[in-house]
Amino acid sequence: MVSPLVVASVAVLVVLLAAGLSVSLVSCRTTRRRLAEEAAADAAHLEDERAMATLLAGALGAIPQGVVICDDAGREVFRNQVAQAYVRGRHGEALVEQAIQEQLHALRAGAAPLRTLDLYGPPRRVLLLSAVALQDGHRAPGALVLVDDVSERRRLEAVRRDFVANITHELKTPVGALGLLADTITAEDDGAVVRRLAERMTEEAFRVSRVIDDLLDLSRIEAEESPRCEPVPVRLVVTEAVERVRPLAQTRGITLDVDELAGWHCVQGDQRQLVSAVANLLENACKYSDAGSSVEVRCRMEGGVAEVEVRDHGIGIPGRDLERVFERFYRVDPARSRETGGTGLGLAIVRHVVTNHKGEVRVASREGEGSVFTLRLPSGTRPDAPHLVGAAGWPAPRIPT
Amino acid sequence: MVERAVEIRKGFHQSLDEVSQELVRLAGMVTEALGKATQALLDGDLAVAEDIIRGDDVLDTLTLQIEEHCYQLLTLQQPMASDLRELVTAIRLTAEIERSGDLVANIMKAARRMYGVAFDPKVRGLIEHMGEQVHRQFRLAIDAYVERDDTLAAAIDDMDDTVDELHVDYIQAIFETHEQGVVDLQPAVQLALVGRFYERIGDHAVNIGERVRYMVTGWLPEHAAAARQSVRDADGDDLPLPPSVHKGPVSG
Repeated sequence: MVSPLVVASVAVLVVLLAAGLSVSLVSCRTTRRRLAEEAAADAAHLEDERAMATLLAGALGAIPQGVVICDDAGREVFRNQVAQAYVRGRHGEALVEQAIQEQLHALRAGAAPLRTLDLYGPPRRVLLLSAVALQDGHRAPGALVLVDDVSERRRLEAVRRDFVANITHELKTPVGALGLLADTITAEDDGAVVRRLAERMTEEAFRVSRVIDDLLDLSRIEAEESPRCEPVPVRLVVTEAVERVRPLAQTRGITLDVDELAGWHCVQGDQRQLVSAVANLLENACKYSDAGSSVEVRCRMEGGVAEVEVRDHGIGIPGRDLERVFERFYRVDPARSRETGGTGLGLAIVRHVVTNHKGEVRVASREGEGSVFTLRLPSGTRPDAPHLVGAAGWPAPRIPT
Repeated sequence: MVERAVEIRKGFHQSLDEVSQELVRLAGMVTEALGKATQALLDGDLAVAEDIIRGDDVLDTLTLQIEEHCYQLLTLQQPMASDLRELVTAIRLTAEIERSGDLVANIMKAARRMYGVAFDPKVRGLIEHMGEQVHRQFRLAIDAYVERDDTLAAAIDDMDDTVDELHVDYIQAIFETHEQGVVDLQPAVQLALVGRFYERIGDHAVNIGERVRYMVTGWLPEHAAAARQSVRDADGDDLPLPPSVHKGPVSG
């Protein structure tokens, strides 16, 4: 017989066990829910962080400088797209990568001063490398190297610096000469000497006035953003420019060899400006050629672009000056500039005219072999040739010798 | 066991890759110095000249390091076939590149001796032209090495004809300017040496191209010569080869 007491106690025990089980089941469920919530929060947090990282990487990718980031052990953790190009790079790129590593090394050893890397390329580039230790209050969790391409900035600085120096030279030299000559005349009694000095003064005055004329021309062309737009036949521009330069060519003993474009192909623009551009090129070609050599003018029509090429066999332009000859008052050889009598503005004018006409001017040159300047102008419509010939009565283009 | 072998090879290939990158860096230093040197020679820039002459020591040090690295791999890894060719090529290339660097330094030493001498425009133009052409050739040789491009490597030899022609014109121009009394004998001789240095750098670029061809295909220019010689031997119409010279193509 089982005592009721035992039954009761067993019953109580069972009830208690069941209750305990259900309690533990419930608590287990809550723990699981809490864990799930935490995991979700973590995942969301992680997602946020990841989005932030992508955003930051994107931002670093968008800036034009190269960025390399390292952790505190010196391991590379990030590199933006610009800096990516230096990894496994060759030629100059290999040297940039080496400089990056050296900067990081120097920073870990103490301090890394700003470093300038002059690459001769081609293309020629100047890069500035700076290394910075990243701070978060009490320790440095990493380092950053910044690679900045300052080539364009350096070029513009040089243009500005040289412009001021050159314009001062170009204007001050004749004005200074005028002052000195006037001074001498005042103290001079001999008529013949006075006459000679006065002649020199006239020369110098002409020189200043030529510079001022060219400066005015240039500023007018610069101000006129869109020149008069009318169809201008290329052969007319070339013929007129050749006629203008012919006296100079004859005095210097240079042959002008002109091969004009057949037909009446036209460009849109201002005839006066275009003629002055071509004449400027021809003038330069004559000035920088030796007596007895020839200057060739060739015209071509290629895919809607009219090309006028002026080729000389003169002294040529050194490679490093090639990009700079179109700057105002830039002189390849300042000592020679007085001999040729130019103002230093001719090619600046050419470039402005061509830019205004939405074209371009190219130059190729080799010292001792000569230079080739090519004007490329978008061609306009071809006008009614017979009408033009009839109305204006232009002479048939001659082939000058 | 096989996996481990693959793993070891992986480490070896990584090292080979490092050697190749170091070599490219060495070559980058020479190409940069070459461009800089031509400009400094034309400008009479003594500071840059000193810089390049001093930089040659850095080049030599790096060359030694690369060579050591190569010997280490050669002895410890005992590579075979294309791996061996690549390593042997690397050793040969360090020598070619290092020698080219020396020649650039020589150009700068000549520039130092000619300081203050004004060159004729024609001579200047030819120096510039030769400098550009040799520079391009050297860069392309390294491009061929990096890209494992045997066609490009073979083209370097043809390009060198241009340098040789320029060199002939250049020597002629020096004679002419000297006859006209524009340049004294001493600087004229220095100028001629400079031309020779450029021409030699062009030849080193050709050698690099040939070594790259060997690395990629196992072909060597000497093979063609050896083949010609063996034909002559068969015909019996030429001097016999010394016994130590291999007669057939040897590939790794």
